[in-house]
Amino acid sequence: MRKLIEFRNIVKSFDGQVVLKGVNLNIYENEFVTLLGPSGCGKTTLLRILGGFLEQDEGTVIFDGQCIDNVPPYRREINTVFQRYALFPHLNVFENIAFGLRIKKLGNDIISQKVNRMLSLVNLEGYGKRNVTKLSGGQQQRVAIARALVNEPNVLLLDEPLGALDLKLRKEMQRELKRIQQEVGITFIFVTHDQEEALTMSDKIVVMNAGSIEQIGTPLEIYNEPVNTYVARFIGESNIMDGIMVSDYKVRFDDKNYECVDFGFRPDEPVDVLIRPEDFRVVKPKDGVMRGEVKSVLFKGVHYELMVETRTGTSKTVQMHVVTQHDIVNKAAGEKISANDFYVDSDDLINKTMTDQDFISIANAQAWDDADRDISLPHVTHNIEPRPGIYSITFGTEKKTEVTVKVYVVHPEYVEDPQHNIGISALDFFITPDEIMESMAISTDLKTWASAEAWNLEDDSPVEITDVKFDFDPAAIQEGSYDITFSTRGRVYKVETTSAHEAGDKVGLLFGPDEIHVMHKAVVE
Amino acid sequence: MKSFFRMSYPYILWIAVFIVAPMFMILLYALTRSGNETLTFTFTLDNFSRFFSDPDFIRVLLTSLRIALFTTVFCLLIGYPAALFVANLSDRAQTLMTLLLTLPMWINMLLKTYAWRGILLNFDFSSEFKVFIGMVYDFLPFMIIQIHTAIAKLDPNLLVAAHDLGANTWKSFVKVTLPLSVPGIISGITLVFLPAVSSFVIPKMLGGGDYVLIGNLIEIYFQQTGDWNFGSAISLIMALIIIAAMWATKKLDRSAQED
Repeated sequence: MRKLIEFRNIVKSFDGQVVLKGVNLNIYENEFVTLLGPSGCGKTTLLRILGGFLEQDEGTVIFDGQCIDNVPPYRREINTVFQRYALFPHLNVFENIAFGLRIKKLGNDIISQKVNRMLSLVNLEGYGKRNVTKLSGGQQQRVAIARALVNEPNVLLLDEPLGALDLKLRKEMQRELKRIQQEVGITFIFVTHDQEEALTMSDKIVVMNAGSIEQIGTPLEIYNEPVNTYVARFIGESNIMDGIMVSDYKVRFDDKNYECVDFGFRPDEPVDVLIRPEDFRVVKPKDGVMRGEVKSVLFKGVHYELMVETRTGTSKTVQMHVVTQHDIVNKAAGEKISANDFYVDSDDLINKTMTDQDFISIANAQAWDDADRDISLPHVTHNIEPRPGIYSITFGTEKKTEVTVKVYVVHPEYVEDPQHNIGISALDFFITPDEIMESMAISTDLKTWASAEAWNLEDDSPVEITDVKFDFDPAAIQEGSYDITFSTRGRVYKVETTSAHEAGDKVGLLFGPDEIHVMHKAVVE
Repeated sequence: MKSFFRMSYPYILWIAVFIVAPMFMILLYALTRSGNETLTFTFTLDNFSRFFSDPDFIRVLLTSLRIALFTTVFCLLIGYPAALFVANLSDRAQTLMTLLLTLPMWINMLLKTYAWRGILLNFDFSSEFKVFIGMVYDFLPFMIIQIHTAIAKLDPNLLVAAHDLGANTWKSFVKVTLPLSVPGIISGITLVFLPAVSSFVIPKMLGGGDYVLIGNLIEIYFQQTGDWNFGSAISLIMALIIIAAMWATKKLDRSAQED
């Protein structure tokens, strides 16, 4: 194939913000090339530079062996289908398509012959006299394509042309565009952020990120052999694990060595490991290379998407003491007040200054007047010291309605899991049956009441607590003590399968060496 | 919908009292003989035949139409490039320029015309040319503002598309900008031609005592002669000519759109 377009080290910035960081790219004749990336990655800017609507700061564009940096857009043998079509509202369908031909001053008979051929190419026979503003989105799209193609360009640029269409029409136009490209046999350069669109239509995909090209390849190459986690995440669903390349053909992740087909890494090089959800086979636990529990099931039409937990997360169990509190009534002032005993972490008392407001919220201290209106609690007195022990705290209103509760200062044991770098802590707590029954989101409230927290041991960044396990019915809670377990997410794999499973099922997961894709760690800039 | 309709009652009343009723009065006066008793009307077309049978009246009518036409064409010729220039400025500069263009409209027309009278006294121009200058000066902003509004709301992507399809700057102007600004041109023409054809202050002050346009004629019959019937007939003839002109431009606009 002949090289048609060559971008050489294209740099472009807007207002000091670098949008293209030196892009090099070759595009060949008759290719369907897709520039794929999220918005702001520079794909549209690159297209506009090729169209001549923007000028690059550095670098050169070679077209058919000639430098076209100084060629104005109207002299380039390139036509564009714009994002919002940009059809001329004062011209009908026929005249919109004929626009470029009329500029070239072709004869009327030749023009009508070419336009009619285009109308049938895009399946719009008989639409010539229609007003373009009265056409549907899909029809306007077709007119825009015909208007560009009628000029017989060497290259057609398409700038997210399907973005404004609904899903069904988009699928239809994808097939349509592919057919048109094969029929006219010219280079299409297609810009999109939709990975599925890129996979279905392209001969070659260029994955872009933040002004640079991450990977160039066929859809199959990009999907099966992504060069890094960015590409892997952008194209398709993926499970990405930290791993270590023990030796050629042997990778270690999730505490086990697996055979793989990758080689050429440094010994013990840290790598990213990718397994696509559809590459797992779900088998009986004893037959799998991994075992786990199905956490959730989503029906996706043809297949089910399972989340399978192969290793539980780090967890901490605390006790919840359910006690009935009677409101203290101050008849003289016409007020009522209540508060709960509470636990507090001695480290918290040392590390951060606990304010009166903090104590009010931990004790859930509240006061009301006769009309059930909330009253503020300006008086808080206590003898709490930052050492384990039992102390007392008194909350009072302006009118001296007071309640005193016990404060247990404790030094709780943090659960630390050095293997997975996670620490978790939670405190026992007191609560009334009413508060549990009134809770709208019990798991979230339990986390708050127990001050449950998890963090990364290395950098102290917070880690989400995904699981709250308890064994009571919040709607019918009795006084007593209950165990509550908070845990972080374990290793969870996304698995696609056609067989039905239910949450809680124990399953085995099976995959072969060629379904493990090993990637170099992305270089952090 | 019904409740909104009810909100338009005051406006309908306004139209009835201040627009429909006076129009009816003009029609009534134009079709009756002067010196009528209040309650007995003698209908006649004498007022009209008097106007059309007198070559002097016809001459005044033609002069008025001619000068209004010249004013409109000249305003279009300078107004369009000016509007195009303004529309291509930055947003801020556009706001400033629009302000500057409308600034003369804030000043009383009588005052402006007096100023022109002083200036033009030093020149040996014909009365008609002096009136022409005064009219262009007064009515030009209307033309520029209308065309500017039409150009400013054009989708800039259309010009990019025209370039993409091989049109250079001039061709994209002729094939895209110009046809799409036709509605602005039409309303600009209307806003200049209508006041120009019926103006009586400008010809009176700049043209000297002997220079009479149709507006002055109407004024003379109402104010000086007191012949309201004939004055009304002239007004009605003017109104009919204007309606015909507007209808014709509308037609032209529509056929241009359909092309």
